[in-house]
Amino acid sequence: MAKPDTGPKVLTGNLLRDGATVYYTGKDWSLYVTDAKVAATPEEAEELRKIGAAAYAANLVIDVNVVDVQSTPDHVPAHIREQIRATGPTVRRDLNKSMSPE
Amino acid sequence: MVPASRVLDRNGPIADGWQRLADDAPAPAGASVLVSFARLKNEHNALFATAGAVGVDIGGDVELEELEPLLPRLGLIVVRFATMRDGRPFSVGRLLRERYGFTRDLRAVGDFIPDQVLFLLRCGFNSFEVGPNFSAEALKHSVAAYTVWYQRGVERNATVAEMRLAKEKA
Amino acid sequence: MYIYDDFDQTVAKQRVAEFRDQVDRRLKGELTEEQFRPLRLMNGLYLQLHAYMLRVAVPYGTMSVAQVRKLADIARKYDRGYGHFTTRQNLQYNWIKLEQMPDLLADLASVQMHGNQTSGNCVRNVTADHFAGVIADEVEDPRIVSEVIRQWSTFHPEFSWLPRKFKIAVTGAAKDRAAVQWHDIGLQIVRNEAGEVGYIVFVGGGMGRIPVLATKVRAFLPKQELLSYLEAILRVYNRYGRRDNIHKARIKILVRDLGPEEFTRQVEAEWEQTRHTGINLPPEEETRIARYFTPPAYEAITEPVTAFEDAKKKNRGFAQWVSTNVHPHKAPGYAIVTISLKPIGGIPGDISADQMDAVADLAERYSAAEVRATHIQNLVLPNVKQADLLAVWQRLGEIGFADANAGLITDVIACPGLDYCSLANARSIPIAQRISERFADLDRQHDVGELQIKISGCINACGHHHAGHIGILGVDKAGQEFYQITLGGAGDETAATGQLLGPGFSSDQIVDAIEKVVGAYLDIRQPNEPFIATYRRVGPAPFKEKLYGTR
Repeated sequence: MAKPDTGPKVLTGNLLRDGATVYYTGKDWSLYVTDAKVAATPEEAEELRKIGAAAYAANLVIDVNVVDVQSTPDHVPAHIREQIRATGPTVRRDLNKSMSPE
Repeated sequence: MVPASRVLDRNGPIADGWQRLADDAPAPAGASVLVSFARLKNEHNALFATAGAVGVDIGGDVELEELEPLLPRLGLIVVRFATMRDGRPFSVGRLLRERYGFTRDLRAVGDFIPDQVLFLLRCGFNSFEVGPNFSAEALKHSVAAYTVWYQRGVERNATVAEMRLAKEKA
Repeated sequence: MYIYDDFDQTVAKQRVAEFRDQVDRRLKGELTEEQFRPLRLMNGLYLQLHAYMLRVAVPYGTMSVAQVRKLADIARKYDRGYGHFTTRQNLQYNWIKLEQMPDLLADLASVQMHGNQTSGNCVRNVTADHFAGVIADEVEDPRIVSEVIRQWSTFHPEFSWLPRKFKIAVTGAAKDRAAVQWHDIGLQIVRNEAGEVGYIVFVGGGMGRIPVLATKVRAFLPKQELLSYLEAILRVYNRYGRRDNIHKARIKILVRDLGPEEFTRQVEAEWEQTRHTGINLPPEEETRIARYFTPPAYEAITEPVTAFEDAKKKNRGFAQWVSTNVHPHKAPGYAIVTISLKPIGGIPGDISADQMDAVADLAERYSAAEVRATHIQNLVLPNVKQADLLAVWQRLGEIGFADANAGLITDVIACPGLDYCSLANARSIPIAQRISERFADLDRQHDVGELQIKISGCINACGHHHAGHIGILGVDKAGQEFYQITLGGAGDETAATGQLLGPGFSSDQIVDAIEKVVGAYLDIRQPNEPFIATYRRVGPAPFKEKLYGTR
């Protein structure tokens, strides 16, 4: 049986208008994963999914997903794909953004 | 109130006299009835005898050889898009017009979008059964999007190659 | 090269207007993402990890100087100052904004370019031999028929919503530089016994999850009947190709499921019905298009060209570069130059706007104002006088593109991988960079000799790993990047599918593993035997033993 999916999660997507990778902060969307609202329980994760679906239906964001983050204060994404999404291509550090605002 | 579905041609809404029949619903005498392909295959003699006109609803997977003997007596063929990405109706339309010589109403139904209508017209469709969210204005835009074509469509347009030749000769 | 007339330009302008309207309706919410997505894809626009990515079509890989300069302008104006040449002879921008797309497309259209059909389930941008028109062993310049196919496939009313993507490639020579057997349709231009020009037609090649080499469905198709035959193939595919499973929707699966004989029978039966219905191109039109590919007026030059021969003797670096990156030209005293977009440690295929401008300047001054893109992610100057090669090489050195590595182990193909691509499972580029650095020593590279390494970051195989002499496939193993090695693939006229060697390697291990494979080859090769020939002679066993030890 699969383990219950209880780890911390954030809601992410890309802005329809310009494609930028963004995170849901609890009231709007930020470029930085450290600004993201973290869902600590499956119920809170479900709430994020609903918010994401509504933002998609409202043509604000596309490619909407709820993704795992690490259980640390800066909640870095758990998977390498999401780590790269959060900052930029690892082969062009000059073009990267940081995970949190300056 | 916006009706659940309506029928358009390239210029906008048109009247639709066709009545869609469930497979177990009796065909009203003299009416223009639209039936499934399964029912048409089983009951075509009775349907042609009773109804005023008979149309059939087919999918992109139709074997046209099966439909061929009935074509001269059909007043409408409705070809169904399974999804907007289902490209089979384009081939079915072109074959019905170009190979099987079907000249009556050829209608698309399903999840296609206005932006596909110009290509459907070029493949021989002349009417479109659409849902409430389908924009008739967007359809008008789509129909006017292109004025020259590299390929010949069912409407027998001059191709770009032919227009070049004509220009050279002029 | 081909130049649009008023008709072509009208189509291009109407396309921009159509997409402007579609973007507007999407931003207003009149089109849903599900509806809009296939429309944007057919204009080359993807959503990737960080932004939208635009794939610009470079039909059959040929670009004018004005086009290259415009690509540089666009990189600066709408992107972050660079682009990426792909294995499909196209150029990709990585940081595009949807709301700027209509203006960007209008800028592209001003130099007769577009993103049409570089994605989506339609006939994709046609590819061809990057040495077309300038090599000696050619029946006919494949760009002529490629342009015919470009026009015919543009906004085809019947074949724009196929079960899956559809790629056509053309070679005009027996030596296949276009990998025709790896395409949905591959065409090889040939002459029959009567001396008439026509095509060998291959159908059903493709990479991805299930690599398949194409089936030869026709040994000779008369030239003037091409379009009706293509329509017959496409119609059979459009009607009967699978649409229930995206992984089984390519034409290769239909050919496999029907069997090559039955598939061919259906195509031929369909063709019998349509070949005389006016689909074929009028011969006058073919002649008109062919005129655009008339070779430039070559000067009469007697070989050897003394200045060139002397420069090779005096300058070892130049001589090395000539030995790999300069190829024989059909005209005496001329040469074909491969510009390596594979500097040691660089990102394969990446090129900055300034480098694009520099390449355009070189082409204008030295190469009849034409540049080619190759499916190996390099560029080509097709018409350089031998006497100018030294100056070209020196200038390329100034912009960082003078590596003497075309066809060698550091001429690695890599897809964008997980650094950019939303489909990827693992990064490709860093592996390419580390292999390149490991084998940086030029003498060592030249000693290893011809060896194609091709890296894909997922099973979709954009990095052509199935066709690599050494193929590397990135996979996700419990959240970690892992890399599998295949050996023996080829993309030329001896096309073959690489075979999986054994268990994969971590990112830390993969470069060592590649070095061991190369070491095994060096141990067992015969004099002047390239890697692929050795592999074909001995099979995988010695390589397995070196990598995994004996069991």
